[in-house]
Amino acid sequence: MRIDAELVARVARLAALELSAEESEAMSGQLTRIVEHFEALRAIPDELLEASADPAASPLRPDEARDGAVGAFLASNAPELSHGHFVVPRVVTRSE
Amino acid sequence: MTDLGALLDGPAGELAMAVWQRRVSAAQVAELALARARAASEKHGSFLSIAADVAARQAAEVDRRVGSGEIPPLAGVPLAVKDNINVAGLPSTAGSRILEGFVAPDDATCVERLVRAGCVVVGKTNCDEFGMGSSNENSAYGNVRNPWDESRVPGGSSGGSAAAVAALAVPLAIGTDTGGSVRQPAALCSLVGVKPTYGRVSRYGLVAFASSFDQTGVLARTVRDAAVAFTAMAGADPRDSTSLRSPVPDVLSPLAREAGAHQPLRGRRIGLLAEADSAEGGLHGDVGALFRRTAGLLEAAGAAVTTVSVPRVAMAVPVYYLTATAEASSNLARFDGVRYGARRGEGSLGDVYRQTRSRGFGPEVKRRILLGTFALSSGYQDEYYNRAQKVRALLARDFQAAFEQVDAILCPTSPEPAFRLGAKADDPLAMYLADVFTVPASLAGLPAISVPAGFSADGLPIGMQLIGPPDSEPLLFELCGEIERSAGALGARPKGAVA
Repeated sequence: MRIDAELVARVARLAALELSAEESEAMSGQLTRIVEHFEALRAIPDELLEASADPAASPLRPDEARDGAVGAFLASNAPELSHGHFVVPRVVTRSE
Repeated sequence: MTDLGALLDGPAGELAMAVWQRRVSAAQVAELALARARAASEKHGSFLSIAADVAARQAAEVDRRVGSGEIPPLAGVPLAVKDNINVAGLPSTAGSRILEGFVAPDDATCVERLVRAGCVVVGKTNCDEFGMGSSNENSAYGNVRNPWDESRVPGGSSGGSAAAVAALAVPLAIGTDTGGSVRQPAALCSLVGVKPTYGRVSRYGLVAFASSFDQTGVLARTVRDAAVAFTAMAGADPRDSTSLRSPVPDVLSPLAREAGAHQPLRGRRIGLLAEADSAEGGLHGDVGALFRRTAGLLEAAGAAVTTVSVPRVAMAVPVYYLTATAEASSNLARFDGVRYGARRGEGSLGDVYRQTRSRGFGPEVKRRILLGTFALSSGYQDEYYNRAQKVRALLARDFQAAFEQVDAILCPTSPEPAFRLGAKADDPLAMYLADVFTVPASLAGLPAISVPAGFSADGLPIGMQLIGPPDSEPLLFELCGEIERSAGALGARPKGAVA
């Protein structure tokens, strides 16, 4: 199938990516070629395809409390930190 | 007098023995390895950071332990670590701008265990961004060049790790193998490259790419070095819920057999992958010739060699790329510029997410996130992602059936020797097809080892791969040991060596 500019834009929105017009055009061509190639999987008859088995359950480790405070390394890696919290642009605003 | 340079040129095992016997100190070895790592970085772009302080501290600790009577199996062995594996206090960029400035808070479990075994970390190696690539041309920090021919790629995504070991900077490196990222560069650089059974080595401390595939593996100059490093790294880890709880298989005993034994592989059944010659994208003539020669070597050593079919191998590239990109689109959602990494852009929270990601990720990573998001999106998931999962299960059953006929499967690691830098850069699909022989074992969670098998007519390394059922590492190491003994590729030195 063809991955046209509209579909590229929809998928980019879902993935929180912004593409320039040039990037978008290049992606459309490349993704179309890749996806059309991958459609070879349709050649396998449905009756051969069983649902994949559920993965084995993960083993659990003991539930032990740990210090959840932001340590020095987390603090030094954070783009912006204030009073032990990550700072982000305002999300909730008062409507005028 | 001990020749320190010659020790660093050789197997890790001999170097460790020299440190135990106190003919050299770990500190002396580390100093020379750091100098070589700097030279390799300049010459091939193989390192992204050099860890002089960490190396000095770890080497001093090894010397202290040896002085008090301990004999760590890898005493003083310099180790290069792929930049998507954490080492406390060192940067982990995973080859991406989005992690620029990130410093790891602790050691990955595999690093912690190798250091406990005596390794000394000398630096972090260049790689394709987030492990996404087969040529190391997708790093935000520049290409890596192959020490065997600097106009060619070293393979990827663990290209820096492979180039560092091949150039004689370090005897041992670790990388991650999602769809072949340890085995393929090992093959292109004349090294042994190990992808363990899924879950055998803890992934705590790795930057995740595709979690149903990612495994840490080792790149070494000899099969024995790889086996010692595997033994040190493997085993259950409470910090990785996917790590196997079963005992680590003994891979060292099968290698202890005396050289020159008559028909040492008698009773072993080897299957030559029937689909190898018809691989999509073609099989290079020299690779095909060495495939047949290697089969002959195993037969001469007493193995029963037949042909075995794994029919859905032909579908492995589409299945892998639909599944791995879907997992990557989810794993890489965490890179949003809020908690760590480089934040870019202004405006609303959504604007910051989009600008951080759009400016922080390179083209191949964006392509894979888009492909994976598409494969998981409403209206397309059944046709692409879900179908790929079902074919993946079918491929695993194909392997199970094959392993009722044979003990292990032999096939080339890469369909061609190292290609020229830029040769596939504009054709993502051609690049994906370079993984045709490595992704099948990844999809089925099977162990696989690439071992040097010889050279092409123009002197480029070629590797062969042995794939076995889960936990068959002892057999795979044994078979690779036999190929190493008889193929004549051991000890070859690349033109671009920094020693």
